Formats: sequence, structure tokens, C-alpha cells
Amino acid sequence: MRSSPPPPSPGLSRRTLLRAGAAGALAAPWIGRAAAATPEVINIAYFVETKPTMIAKGLGWFADEAKAKINWTEAGSGAEINTAMAAGSVDIGLAIGSSPTAAGISQRLGYKLIGMVDNIGPAEEMTVRKSANIHTPADFKGKKVATPFGSTSHFRLLGFLKLNGLSQRDVTVLDMRPDAIVAAWERGDIDAAYVWSPAKSKLLANGGEVYRTYDKLDAAGYVIADLIVARSKFLDAYPDAVTGLLRAYGRALDMWQTEPQKAAEIVGKQAGVSAEVAMADLKEYDFVPLKQQLSSQWLGRPGKPGRFADVLKTTADFLVEQHSIRSAPGVIAFQKATDTVPLSQAVG
Amino acid sequence: MTAPRTRYLWTALSAAILIAAWVGVTSGGLVSDLFLPGPGEVWSGFLELVQDGYKGRSLGEHIWDSLFRVLVGFMTGACAGTLLGLAMGRWRRLDAICAPFIEFLRPLPQLAYLVLLIVWFGIGETSKIMLLFLAALPVSAVAARDGVRNVPEARLRVARALGASEWQVFRHVILPSALAEIITGARLAIGIVYATLIAAEIIAGSTGIGWMILDAGRFLRSDYVFVGIIIIGLMGLALNALLVTLERRLVHWAGR
Repeated sequence: MRSSPPPPSPGLSRRTLLRAGAAGALAAPWIGRAAAATPEVINIAYFVETKPTMIAKGLGWFADEAKAKINWTEAGSGAEINTAMAAGSVDIGLAIGSSPTAAGISQRLGYKLIGMVDNIGPAEEMTVRKSANIHTPADFKGKKVATPFGSTSHFRLLGFLKLNGLSQRDVTVLDMRPDAIVAAWERGDIDAAYVWSPAKSKLLANGGEVYRTYDKLDAAGYVIADLIVARSKFLDAYPDAVTGLLRAYGRALDMWQTEPQKAAEIVGKQAGVSAEVAMADLKEYDFVPLKQQLSSQWLGRPGKPGRFADVLKTTADFLVEQHSIRSAPGVIAFQKATDTVPLSQAVG
Repeated sequence: MTAPRTRYLWTALSAAILIAAWVGVTSGGLVSDLFLPGPGEVWSGFLELVQDGYKGRSLGEHIWDSLFRVLVGFMTGACAGTLLGLAMGRWRRLDAICAPFIEFLRPLPQLAYLVLLIVWFGIGETSKIMLLFLAALPVSAVAARDGVRNVPEARLRVARALGASEWQVFRHVILPSALAEIITGARLAIGIVYATLIAAEIIAGSTGIGWMILDAGRFLRSDYVFVGIIIIGLMGLALNALLVTLERRLVHWAGR
């Protein structure tokens, strides 16, 4: 899939050889790509959030498994990660949303989708003020709905409006960051918001209720997910390090499965919230196990792309319709921009 | 001084070189259009915006929203600032009371108190215009105060000796003398208001040219960003030209 495999370096370690051999026993096509080179430092852009990624970060597993120092940069949005990728200043984007990813791939920013953090599902959802009396889509007419523009939530909200024949004139859609949404909600400036936690839980605790949209939207093709992307040049040069990072995330997912209480405590500490809050947030997401990500429902296996490429294509087409990006390539481009080799090695 | 004709020649030359370099760099595929779109792309981006608008609103509406905010913020800020400055120039005690706050506010980056404004005034037009008001006020106040202070003492004494009342002194001596500085202050203020516009439109936007630039930048739509920058630049030039005309009309004697 990658155009030019890096030549095997003379410094192949025994471990890499062993691993390459083991992988080769299962399927041979990517054996020649195992390179021993380790990066001096890996630049990872991430979000401070209540997800298992924070376990692997907090306990140093990412650095251990990738055998490299990691330079962590906090990102404010997926768009920021895209810009940093375009500038070549970030190697890995951790938990970037599917809509900025679809935009980035369409714009050929030079990165590959290498794994998923979660399927967002109901974790991002419409919250309406109880007193605003919103019960049907038509009730949204004349109301003010806030969402961070460019995010997966924004994508869902626009999908919701479109499915229900509402225009951005019927509903005032406001571009606000999550913290500003909470402030505006408390002042009574907005009637509804499409956002994620912790902002979402604050709205719910403050006179809000869930207005369920996600199931219908998922069925209509507006699936949203948080993904892991790697700069193509970095991936070409250091496939082992990338595999290591994914393996570290796999360990964190295992901990969340087997010891959820301990996981919630670590995540809470990392994100600066109580273990109870972290637990509640963690439960909202569907953290797809690495093995399952390789199924045809999600990313697929090397040479056998999964259906997630279609989700990205649908997302990109919608962004074109919104004039957010100029054009979207065919589904093949999204399949090509998905590289599941490191993931299958991390699992295998 | 350069003769007007050669001056235009030089201006035309610099513009031609810039455009040639732009075309050269972009058409050769030297840089990705994400980083620097070519003139053709910017033009088609402009046509698209004229035809379809941006995110549910026409380009004209975005321009009008920004212009409205700038004008209201500037007018209220500059008027309040000028009145305050005149009073401060006239009464030393008032100056002592207000000056520390004005001096504190003047160099303060507007983004620093942006969040407070949202919490106090909400997400509507009020907080946006308030931000622009606060940007315009201190500059205008300082200019008006200094204008009053710089009126030569001799003129005041002559006027009073001729039996002019305090109001007449103010109306016929102080105000005309200070006017030049007041207008200079206004030109400075509109520059600052204009620079603050993008910050103001970060507040829960979805309208305005400043917001459009921010939002287009999020998806690296550099063509729209360029169109936005060009529009905002031309609007700035027009506003400045308006004030210069006003200055010539009102204080035609200044500098002579």
C-alpha cells in the first residue's frame, strides 16, 4: 500500500526480526517493511479527555511500547491537529474526530488513519433546556443551538437539521467552544447544545435533558468516531514505533475492560476530574477493541478495507456540500488512506 | 518629494511584481493551494461566496454584520471617549480620577477580558459591541484630553479678557484647537476597533467577515480566507478614507 518501503536497515534488532518473523508466519505481504529505526522523539497531539488513552499516557505506556521519548502537545480541536499535520509538526494525532479526519484526507494533508479510539455513539448528543419545550424537530424552529464548529458534534447537528428539513435560518446555529457553551447555558442565552462531556454533563445537571438523535443519525450514515492518525512520512520511517503506540492503547483498553474502577481512577486523575465523573464519561463511549477494529464493520484488515472508509467518504461529501472543503475524493482514496498494518501487528 | 505621476508608477510596479510573484509561485505547483491559493482560485472562491453565501448567510450579510459592529462600537466608544477626554482636559481632578483606569485599559489586549464580557453580557451583539466600545474609548479619551491641554494658554486668556463666558471659550477656542487631535485619535481608534473585530466575532459567532475567516481557516479553506482578508482590508481602507475626508472638511486648517 505504501509506495516505497524503507530499506531494511543493517541495525535490525533481534526483537524486531522475531516479531517480523512471527507476523510473517501469519501473512507475508508486509514483512519487508519492518524497519528497526526508532525515532528520537514522537510528537503527539492529544486532547485532555476522559478516555483510556489517558491511562496509556499517564502510566508512560506509549513511551515504553514505542521505545521513544514523547513530546505531548495539547490540541484545542481536530482542525488544529490538521493544521499541525500539514505543517509537519505533529507525528500522531490522538482521538481526532472523524469529520476533521475526512477533511484532512480529502485535502491530502499527508496522514494515514491507523486506528480508532472510540465510536462516539450517544456520548455526543443534543441537550435541550427542559423549559424550552422542545419535543419534536419542528420545535427547534427559532431556537438557538450551540456547537463547536468543525467538530463531530457540529457534523451531527447539521445532519440532524438536514434530515428534518430544517435550514440554518430556521434554527440559529452558534459556533462556541464547550466552556463557552456552559457559560451561555447558565446565562440562559441558548436553548440547546450539541456537545460532549464534561460540558454535556454540566448542561444536563443544570436544567437540561437529552434529546436523542444519535440512533437515527447513525442509521442515516452520520456515524462519528474518534480516530488515531499518523503522518505518512513518520509511519513510513518508523512503523515499529507506530505499532508500539497502538499496542500501548490496546493495553489501556484491556485495563478498562478488566479493571474499570482502577481505570476510571487513573483517567480521572489525568483529566482532572473525580473517578466518579470519569467513570460516567467513560461509560458513554463505545471503545472498540483493537481486534474488532480490524473487522469489516470498521477499519478492516490490510488489503481488505472495512466499511469505515464509506463513513469517511459520506462525511467528506457532506463537508463539500457545506462548503467546508472544496472537493472530496472517491471512496478508494479513503481506503488507501487507512493503513491497518501496524494495527494488525499490534494485535497479532 | 516624488512627483505624483512617478509615485503612481512605483505603486503600480510594486503591485505588478507582487501579483506576478503570486501567479508564479502558485501556478508552478511550487506550493500546495492549502497554503497559498492562486489568484484564479481566490477569484472563483469569491464568486462562490457571492453566489451561495457562507454557511447559511449571504456575503453581503456577513459584511454588513461586521460593518455594523465596527461602526456602532466605534461611534459609541469614540463619542464617549472624546466627551470624557474633553472633560478630563478641562478639570484636572476628573483627570486624576479617570486617568489610571484609562491608562490601564489602553494597552490591555482585548482577548484578555473576552471571557468576562461573555459572562457579563451574554453571547449576542451586546458583548461584541462592548468589546469594540472598550477598544475605542481609551484612545479617544487620551487624544481629546491632550488636545484640550495643548491649547495655548495665551489664546484662553485673550478670549477671557474679551469677556467670553466659559461655554464660549470652550465652544469657540478649546474645541476648534483640540479638533485636530480628536480626529487623529478617532483614526487611531478605528484602527484598533478594526483589529479587535476578529476577537469580537470569536464570541459565539456564525456571522461576520471576521468569523468567516476564522471558520474557513479551520478547514484550511485558504481561498475563502484570502477573500475574507481582501474584503476586510478594503473595508478598512474605505473607513480610513472616510475619516480623512472628514478631517479635511472639519479641520482644514490643521498643519498649516
